Amino acid sequence: MFRNLLLTLLTFCIAIGGGAASVWYALDADDGFDALHVGAWTAFPDLGTTKASPYAKAAAARDGVLALGHAEGIRFIASRDSAGRPLSVACTYRVAGNTPPARFWTLFPADPHSLMPLKAKPGLPGKLQSWAVLRQPDGSFAVTVGPHPAPGNWLAINGGGGMTLALTLYDTPAATSSEVGSLELPRIKRVGCDG
Amino acid sequence: MGKLLSALAIGIIGAGIVHIVILFLLPSVAENGPWQRLDAAAGHYTFVSVNRADGAASPTIRPIHPFFYEAACRFDLRDGVVHIHAPGRVPFWSMSVYDKSGENIYSLTDRTATDGDLDLVIATPAQLIEVKKDIPTDFEKSIFVETDTGKGIALVRSFVPDDSWAPGMDRYMKSLVCQSG
Repeated sequence: MFRNLLLTLLTFCIAIGGGAASVWYALDADDGFDALHVGAWTAFPDLGTTKASPYAKAAAARDGVLALGHAEGIRFIASRDSAGRPLSVACTYRVAGNTPPARFWTLFPADPHSLMPLKAKPGLPGKLQSWAVLRQPDGSFAVTVGPHPAPGNWLAINGGGGMTLALTLYDTPAATSSEVGSLELPRIKRVGCDG
Repeated sequence: MGKLLSALAIGIIGAGIVHIVILFLLPSVAENGPWQRLDAAAGHYTFVSVNRADGAASPTIRPIHPFFYEAACRFDLRDGVVHIHAPGRVPFWSMSVYDKSGENIYSLTDRTATDGDLDLVIATPAQLIEVKKDIPTDFEKSIFVETDTGKGIALVRSFVPDDSWAPGMDRYMKSLVCQSG
């Protein structure tokens, strides 16, 4: 009798605990089913739409996110450099290349978990938008992301730990194009690290 | 031993069922969704600032768009059609309509709008037929958005290229109107 009760209890514990924990884990996993990879960058074109997977929908509901609509734009996130090493705020990176056509884009370093923009020290540039970016004669651009001031386009980071880079294209055909996988996005090259 | 194994097996099958149930129930029971957060901030038909580029306002929705001012207004189509408009021009605005669970059902940018002005009417298919029979002068330049979502959220995003734009964009966001009927 007592043994049966114990076994029933065990069954319920596994069912409820395991079920809840596995949902939580799946929602926190970076790589959703809807992920789209372009070089080091990842986007979720179906995020927040009716086409999103149940996992993406549940994650959006839990986190209170109102995602960009297809007409508004698309966001690409990079948490690793082009060589596959995780991004760190103690390192200096060179983000160089071109973006797909868009009205404008923004680039900023963000917290890897909340995706909230990292705060730069007062007076230092913590975010960049394409109308203010310095370009090469061929239209391409290069941005230095690092703790030390750099000539040209510079994004200041400080502190320790990991980071992600968020590149958001606004009003772009890339968000709705079926050939979104063949897009050209800037490469992220690690220049060096402190310490 | 056999009983223990069967208990484990039933537990794992149960975990699978619980996993699926939680997954599909979460969007409808989440207490931290955009709708609930806006509910705590203001009533229907009021634009609430959810993101200021300088991060000054306390965020109700995660402000993940630096360079942007964002404001959201909740509506209920059972009260009648919703008219959203703002005077003036800005470098870029975009707007999304979300249903109550935060799913994007319609989005547009200033390129789509007449003369680039923000002027939009959200209505159910039935309401739209009524409105189009005799279009009020207020709606002459409006874009009509057809949805049968009932309750929803309209979110306006406006680009602030640099800090010198901030005061003007602040005025623009304050001039946003969200009205029923």
